[in-house]
Amino acid sequence: MTITFLLNGESVSLDRVPPTRTLLDWLREERRLTGTKEGCNEGDCGACTVIVTDAAGARALNACILFLPQLHGRAVRTVEGVSGPNGELHPVQQALIDHHGSQCGFCTPGIVMSLVAAHLSGRTDFDDVLAGNLCRCTGYAPIIRAARAAAREPVPDWMRADQSFLLPQISRGEGAARGAEPPMHARCPRNADELADIFAAHPGATLVAGATDVGLWVTKALRDIEPVIFLGGCDDLKSIEITDRTVRIGAMADMNAVRAAVADLHPSYAEMIRRFASEQVRGAATIGGNIANGSPIGDNPPALIALGATLHLRRGDERRSLPLEDFFIDYGKQDRRAGEFVEAVSFPRQPDRLRCYKLSKRFDQDISAVCGAFNIRVEDGRVAQARIAFGGMAAIPKRARAVEAALIERPWNQDTIHAALPAFAEDFAPISDMRASAGYRLGAAQAMLERCFAEDLGEPASVLEVQP
Amino acid sequence: MALDEYKPQKGGSELETDHQFKYVGTRPDRPDGFDKVTGRARFGADMYAPGMLHAAILRSPHAHARIVRIDTSKAEAMEGVKAVVTRADFSKNVPFAPGMAGEFWNILENVMAGEKVLYDGHAVAAVAATTPLIARDALKAIEVEYEILPHVTDVDEAMKPDAPVIREGAADKSVPEGMHPNVVRYHESGHGDVEAGFAEADLVIEDHFTTEATHQGYIEPHACLATLGSDGKGELWCCTQGHWYVQKVCAALLDLETANLRVTASEIGGGFGGKTTVFIEPVALALSRKANRPVKLVMSRSEVFRATGPTASASMDIKIGMKKDGTITAAKGEFRLQGGAFPGAPMEFTAMCAFACYNLKNVHQVGYDVMTNRPKQAAYRAPGSPMAAFAVESVIDELCNRLGLDPIEVRLKNAAREGTKASYGPTFPRIGLVETLEAAKAHPHYSAPLKPGQGRGISCGFWFNHGGETSVSLALSEDGSAQVMVGTPDIGGSRASMALMAAEVLGIPFEKIRVTIADTGSLGYNEISHGSRVTYASGLATIKAAQDAVRKLRQRAADKWGIDVEAVDWVDGCAVPSGPNAGDFDPLPLAEITKNMGATGGPISGHYEATPEGAGVSFATHIVDAEVDRETGSTRVVRYTVVQDAGKAIHPTYVEGQFQGGAAQGIGWALNEEYIYGPDGRLQNPGFLDYRIPVASDLPMIDTVIVEVPNPGHPYGVRGVGETSICPPLAAIANAVSNAAGVRLRDLPMRPSRILEELEKQQGDA
Repeated sequence: MTITFLLNGESVSLDRVPPTRTLLDWLREERRLTGTKEGCNEGDCGACTVIVTDAAGARALNACILFLPQLHGRAVRTVEGVSGPNGELHPVQQALIDHHGSQCGFCTPGIVMSLVAAHLSGRTDFDDVLAGNLCRCTGYAPIIRAARAAAREPVPDWMRADQSFLLPQISRGEGAARGAEPPMHARCPRNADELADIFAAHPGATLVAGATDVGLWVTKALRDIEPVIFLGGCDDLKSIEITDRTVRIGAMADMNAVRAAVADLHPSYAEMIRRFASEQVRGAATIGGNIANGSPIGDNPPALIALGATLHLRRGDERRSLPLEDFFIDYGKQDRRAGEFVEAVSFPRQPDRLRCYKLSKRFDQDISAVCGAFNIRVEDGRVAQARIAFGGMAAIPKRARAVEAALIERPWNQDTIHAALPAFAEDFAPISDMRASAGYRLGAAQAMLERCFAEDLGEPASVLEVQP
Repeated sequence: MALDEYKPQKGGSELETDHQFKYVGTRPDRPDGFDKVTGRARFGADMYAPGMLHAAILRSPHAHARIVRIDTSKAEAMEGVKAVVTRADFSKNVPFAPGMAGEFWNILENVMAGEKVLYDGHAVAAVAATTPLIARDALKAIEVEYEILPHVTDVDEAMKPDAPVIREGAADKSVPEGMHPNVVRYHESGHGDVEAGFAEADLVIEDHFTTEATHQGYIEPHACLATLGSDGKGELWCCTQGHWYVQKVCAALLDLETANLRVTASEIGGGFGGKTTVFIEPVALALSRKANRPVKLVMSRSEVFRATGPTASASMDIKIGMKKDGTITAAKGEFRLQGGAFPGAPMEFTAMCAFACYNLKNVHQVGYDVMTNRPKQAAYRAPGSPMAAFAVESVIDELCNRLGLDPIEVRLKNAAREGTKASYGPTFPRIGLVETLEAAKAHPHYSAPLKPGQGRGISCGFWFNHGGETSVSLALSEDGSAQVMVGTPDIGGSRASMALMAAEVLGIPFEKIRVTIADTGSLGYNEISHGSRVTYASGLATIKAAQDAVRKLRQRAADKWGIDVEAVDWVDGCAVPSGPNAGDFDPLPLAEITKNMGATGGPISGHYEATPEGAGVSFATHIVDAEVDRETGSTRVVRYTVVQDAGKAIHPTYVEGQFQGGAAQGIGWALNEEYIYGPDGRLQNPGFLDYRIPVASDLPMIDTVIVEVPNPGHPYGVRGVGETSICPPLAAIANAVSNAAGVRLRDLPMRPSRILEELEKQQGDA
């Protein structure tokens, strides 16, 4: 397949690219652009952070779990490409020197790129900007001081080049699709209809959305995932429609887009998404991927199930919809037929009463031990409706039906909450693993209900929700 | 007075505390800053060679197994595979010996398994091929037949009578009779009569503590590029804290003449002690020798976790007696450390550091080095000391709580000072513990009010610091700039510190000095960058080398002026007559002398080689505020202040950087990081996905206070600062969390579930 993209301002066309070659590997081994570092090869450390710009804007992404075909029609900038035309340093680079933001310096290129991306967009929430960049030397304080100093400097002109990058000759999808005649290794459909046709014809293909999970199948598990269908060109699957009655999120909407979309509707959900993963991972990961992989610890499904979400699936021209909770059948098993893909997820509009709690060892960018979502409507002091769902408590994201039943039509008070706690054991028999023991999971889930009630009474938030 | 004429002062020291520094103590930009922010800095994996092969290592999936058979023939037959090595390709002349006496054998055994695999991730064979993919595929073609043996990964389990024996004959003579063969070394020290001391106490607390193994967590995986011919001559590029040591070990493991292997240290992406030994370097060299081509070998993150050194884990019993007025009457500790399947857990350091902060009449400490089926431990920033401080300072905190005493006052009352007989033997010279405690007491943090749900913790910490073999050269250029060649890889900004010290002696600006980490072919032996020794020892050697050059500069001026060299002083970068009697000459700047040096006697350089032994011990006091969520057990560190004695801060920003870095790693160790082994003996979390080191939001903006109590053993008073900063955090955070939660946390990490369990126990008791 042929792909074309901009690399540090220069056009690059590649023929016969192995579809699962990562950007990091290519930058280092082919281009000898060794400023971009490999620290973990699984999207956790951020040493490989690059900036990728397309019509949706510039974003920081992990090059280690980004396959080359995902770059088609986009602009890539590495640490070697952020200095000015005469070698003058970017304000972020200068500030990192001035504030002694490097010790060993191995994480520095990635930190430069995350901060340059933030500088471009004017963001100053640096704890969040840097949640995907591990530094083991500094304790981050000098880096954050540098970031604050750089924020006072204007964006250099040369950093605007990628934003105006819209080369008509490489409109996304064409070149890639052309080189993909049988035997099929990889395809890049341009819209959902093309995807439907290709996937129906090749139901054994691996769908790659953001590659934050599939990327690890390749880089860690060393799996051969070909043939591959890259969904990044399907712009029609990225739309988020909010009407008076429903919110419909296309499967390819990335988690930063979802976070922005739900920020006003359900702030607790948006905050959970913030902690769900780092900036780099959220910028690549899609809601469709998070649902379709069916992980028992995916953080979207509990919130969506609590909101009464419907999943929209498609195979060829055939479409069907089902309640999201019914999609998850068992560990690693979902109600998705061969050649069928997730097109969208939708949920009804409602006044916000959703409360999401995510419990993990580390506050940011960590896998949940338990993730709980509560959507409880109280009328005249009684629970009129309750939809409660958990991740990390069973082999699948699961509704807490017994707990719901123990609340509904009862007075919304401490006695009811206490009386409902034993119902957790009816709903869930969680496992013990390295993230948490069964007992802790059950206890923490119960504590989340108590917290939900306490918050409703206006008790002050504690560590669990405190913004760092 | 010329700098090289410092007269030894008290105790043979050369301290010049009245010296008015011009460069030392300033904060210039680090010379490597530009390289690091632009991606130009070259780390271990950033080097390429023509015709280079890529290597990969086959690792054991079992915790303990006998290797019955290895068949590499299928892998060797694969297209693109150029070499396969097993243990047979390494030296047979490295002798086995008990304990640490056989350390080279232990390293060899760790680098490539012999008869048995001893832990999950133990190297079994390696392949070099034309592409990384072929190398990885070839690993799958190597057939290994294992006879699986019973395993043990817990330190206390490994000492029980029925525990599987990891290796017979590994114990040295220090181990008392009747111990399990897995106990391979033993330490005992102290003075006085602890039982009599306990009898004098008003309150005695005895408690049990554990810490888990944690990894240094450097972001750069181990990487190297090796070239070795059948002529026995080779080149090695690698990320290491000590390339002379790499040279020595690799030569021994491959039967080479040491001098025939030239090793160059790359820029190093973090080490923290974990890059003080070899893992992949001998393997890459062996492959290169066999393939007759350069071989690059880079570890994956999971290999780093599974097969490179985490720190030891510890099981500890502490007993301390205190009078109502806060006087400690006696202290006793027993420290059982597992350091993996080899001798070397730093239990003697644990024992010796445990009570070093205190002036004790009666103290006794015992250490056990225990083998388990885990990777060979490696040094991690003050190896052995942080866990000791955790246990001891927790008990002191509990004593303070129960006796209603202020934790800083109690520590001041018992603090070690100049003249104190240390718990581990020697008598302290001038030290700075009291000064750190006074500074902590005076810091606004200590008196700031706490919010509900928060607790405050205090802890002191101690580390020995180290000198070690050191060699430095300094060469002047015609234009008056200077090159300094040091042999200690820069792991904390030492190039800046060396340049500042050289600038101070030469009297030329910082910017005119370039400091390079020389390769093994360019200098005499240099010990590893470890033991917080670099600013002390390489700094001392840099000062001496610069003084050597200054002496030659003065000689040139003396020759020009036709006077005696003793009549020439060196002031602000110029030769000047030492007084009116010396003659009336204009100051002669350094650049004027070097401009003509070829014609006036040849190049001017300075050298110094020595093993300085005056590294001053170092103390710190940390203050931590933490809050605990009682419903979930989640914690957060909300405020953190490090107070530490630096002797003299050469570059204060980098001293602060070391303070913050140690505290940040300590926060991870205390709250979150741990090696988790399953019942199958396999490491369950070998990646940053499940081994969570702190991110920005986990850490407050760590505050620092530099205390300067000069070290009499260094011309400028420097004490090493790199390691002591990780000694107090585990205890300080545990004390803060315990005080916030109202229950004593005795086991690290204090993950949410553990805190919740303790809270539930407390409720159950109530």
